[in-house]
Amino acid sequence: MTQWKKNEIEKAMDCPMTRRRFMKWLTAAGVATAMPCSFLRSQAASAAGIVYEGGYETFRNACPRNCYDSCGIVTYVKDGVAQFVEGAPESTFTNGGLCVKGHSYIRQQYSPDRIKYPMIQQGRGSGNWKRISWEEAMTRISEKLIEINEKDGSMLGLALTKYSGNFGITNYGVEGMFSSLGYTTRMVGTPCWPAGIDAQNYDMGNMWCNDPEDMVNARYIILWGVNPAWCSVHTMKYIYEAKKRGAKVLCIDPVLTQTAAKADEYWQTKTSEDGALALGMARHILDKGLVDQDWVANNSVGFNEFADYLRKEVTVEWAAEKSGVPADRITQVAEEFATNNPATIWIGYGMQRHVNGGASVRAIDALVAMTGNVGKVGGGARYGHLMTWGFNYHAMIQQTPKGAKGYLGPAAKGEFDFTKKADGPSYSNRTFNINKTARELLNATDPPVRALWVSCKNPLSQDFDRNKLVEAFKKMEMVVVVDQFFNQTVEQADIVLPVTTLFEEWTVNVGYWHYWLSINEQSVKPLHEAKSNIEIAAALSKKMNELKPGSCTFPTDTDTKEWMSKEFNKGIYDLFGLNSWEDLKKGMHKAKTNLLPWADGKFGTPSGKYEFKSDLCSKHGFNALPRYVEGRKPYDKLRLLTPHTKFGLHSQFINLDWMEDFNPQPYVYMNPGTARSRNIAEGDMVIVKNKTGKVTIAASLTDNVPMDAVLMYEAWFKNNDYNCQNLVDDTSADMGGYKAGAPGVAIHSQFADVVKA
Amino acid sequence: MDTVKNTTLAALRNFFLARSGEELNAACITLANHNGKTKDLGDMDWEEAEFAFNKLFVGPMALQAPPYASYYIEAEPQLMGESTLKVRRLYDMAGLVSPLQGHLPDDHLGVELDAALGLLSMAEHLDAEEPSALWHYFLHEHLQTWLPQFLNQARNAETGHPAVDLALDHLEAWFNDQETKQEGFDQ
Repeated sequence: MTQWKKNEIEKAMDCPMTRRRFMKWLTAAGVATAMPCSFLRSQAASAAGIVYEGGYETFRNACPRNCYDSCGIVTYVKDGVAQFVEGAPESTFTNGGLCVKGHSYIRQQYSPDRIKYPMIQQGRGSGNWKRISWEEAMTRISEKLIEINEKDGSMLGLALTKYSGNFGITNYGVEGMFSSLGYTTRMVGTPCWPAGIDAQNYDMGNMWCNDPEDMVNARYIILWGVNPAWCSVHTMKYIYEAKKRGAKVLCIDPVLTQTAAKADEYWQTKTSEDGALALGMARHILDKGLVDQDWVANNSVGFNEFADYLRKEVTVEWAAEKSGVPADRITQVAEEFATNNPATIWIGYGMQRHVNGGASVRAIDALVAMTGNVGKVGGGARYGHLMTWGFNYHAMIQQTPKGAKGYLGPAAKGEFDFTKKADGPSYSNRTFNINKTARELLNATDPPVRALWVSCKNPLSQDFDRNKLVEAFKKMEMVVVVDQFFNQTVEQADIVLPVTTLFEEWTVNVGYWHYWLSINEQSVKPLHEAKSNIEIAAALSKKMNELKPGSCTFPTDTDTKEWMSKEFNKGIYDLFGLNSWEDLKKGMHKAKTNLLPWADGKFGTPSGKYEFKSDLCSKHGFNALPRYVEGRKPYDKLRLLTPHTKFGLHSQFINLDWMEDFNPQPYVYMNPGTARSRNIAEGDMVIVKNKTGKVTIAASLTDNVPMDAVLMYEAWFKNNDYNCQNLVDDTSADMGGYKAGAPGVAIHSQFADVVKA
Repeated sequence: MDTVKNTTLAALRNFFLARSGEELNAACITLANHNGKTKDLGDMDWEEAEFAFNKLFVGPMALQAPPYASYYIEAEPQLMGESTLKVRRLYDMAGLVSPLQGHLPDDHLGVELDAALGLLSMAEHLDAEEPSALWHYFLHEHLQTWLPQFLNQARNAETGHPAVDLALDHLEAWFNDQETKQEGFDQ
């Protein structure tokens, strides 16, 4: 038996000094003798001393999820392992905090479930996977792409679906990779917020919101179809502070959310009747002579026509009947809103996911404008902004290969596509509406879509009419999915490629709500064989050129730090007061300007004024005035709502163990009254069904949900085939085609019924 | 350390680090010829073996029996936990380092079996007590804390295959043999 005791070995493991003493034998014994190890390597004793004594290295990361808060993160690393994360302390917005999702990032990084290697499936959906090298994966993909080009004479048979799974700017290198291969087919548009974007563009000439931090100055806040207590936790402190300073907070939502519970007043409105409600308030403000006449006269056009419309066609009683909000509440709040200046409305994305969503946003904008609250600190019709996104899009902008042929018709551009169309080439990409992906893939001809590349997206959990999308996937000759976890989309892939997490790549991030900028440093080595999207593009380019020289223009160098640095320009430096991007290593920076939209009264509309009457809107096929538009006619007994969950962001995070502890399974939430009439009790298995499909799920009863609706959170669970998109069809929202590339989708204009299973 | 055990241990390492059905096949041939006795592998379907192996140990689906020590040792299952770093330091004390440090967790079963080979060999051939002490520690204070759980989870997993069973049987036999042979530390 050896003289070394257990505690001595443990001491050596923990204490570098003891360890060095222990390791003297290494030099003495001459370890370089025959070693049977074939994996582990011998190392010189002198090198064996990388030691941390309680100290951590810190790195700057940024949450790249599709979220209002886009938090800056400080990551603490020890021994090359990320140990824990904190919110960036210098950001007054984050203020050192993260949300429940952000705090779980370490569980995501080191989850045993991560996709580790490139793999190929023998039969989609079979679960029979083989591990392949990156080299082999790239060869198989390249051969298919070359075959497509030879067969069709173009790359239009290759389609990309990518959206908001990772908003790190260098991840637009995926689009760059596609351009570098030729003219391809792109899913364009957004399921998220297009109707509201266009509405604000018609009214004001841009989507541009006040700095959320200025909400503390508001004397009246309406949170309209938005649930920041779950979806923008950092904004809540400004709302609380405003309340402390005397502001009143009203929450309007069909569902009694956590935000509603924290408001001074809550209106449980009938879904998609927001336009009627806003117009009823506008009529009362008009009748009471509370319109800000100076502001309207100096800064707007078309107000008289709008006022005529209100007088002729809108009454408070009508608005009360439509919205379900009592007339006396409408009149009192309208007066309070008009007389407590500055007053602001936060217009949520949920309320515009309707066939009349854009029209409703225009009505709410009008309410804010007519009370003189546009262009004021603490005021504003807040929706979102892209004022800090002026990067170079270096990774995105790649030349097509020489001689590439493409599509000759018009191509659409998404809201995050900041590229300018180059002069000259008459070819373009073929663009399909991202919200109708299933039918677009099924109907595409000349050429058909043969290969689909999925990145930063989980279409089989998030895209609409899921049954049809499954059919569309079957039509594909090759499906490549780039992801971190095995979800319902990976299940239907031929090849899956493991992609890096936020800790494993360099990139840069901004938000669409606050005005802060953060770099995202690589804090640890990529685990397993994960590669960043840029590295994947470079690897594909290398193989494409090997097999067919000149077939791909994407650079083959893979320094993601270098790529990140190329996204910066003078505009960004000036906006954020930076000398160099390196300044961001010390912490986040906030924009110096652009924080107060329309303060100078110069709007981006054709008239240069706020347009209560928009000829452009009329030209695009909608009402010139923000008139009331009916919602979708019900086609089943109950309204179906599929909003965001607290424990995830779209289909991300929900699979992590920390989330499973609190949210282990999906439920359909029903009002007890609705359940009683169907003989359904708490926990019963039920079938939610409509013309699109069905979902079998446990019921949970709560009077937070109105009697006429059922609610299921959008989610992807690891061990459950739950999918709310079985019930959501791809009916378009009214607006979105102008600035977002395609109309939005009427996610909440859906209906269903529930029966006991 | 006798050559037969050495060969078996190397084959187990190769099995758990395998990247393909062919590599599983090669490792299993060695295991089947264990100790002079030859077990007939028959018409084993190595593609099916590979699919099963990947479902259990590789992915891309959530693993049925993660072959990482920290998954079993940490209070909350994860890779690259504090216990992984302890294993890394133990390798360091034996003058060993993973060429994939930071990418492949140091406590992947295949890597640990490779370390076992190295430690046993050093303990046998080198004129120093430290390798033997390290092996004792590795066996009793580390492998013992997770390998039985791993074997249990792998055997009771939804997916199984005779090739996997063969490797698990050999792994268990080797481990029990070591456990019996090596007395623990005086507490």
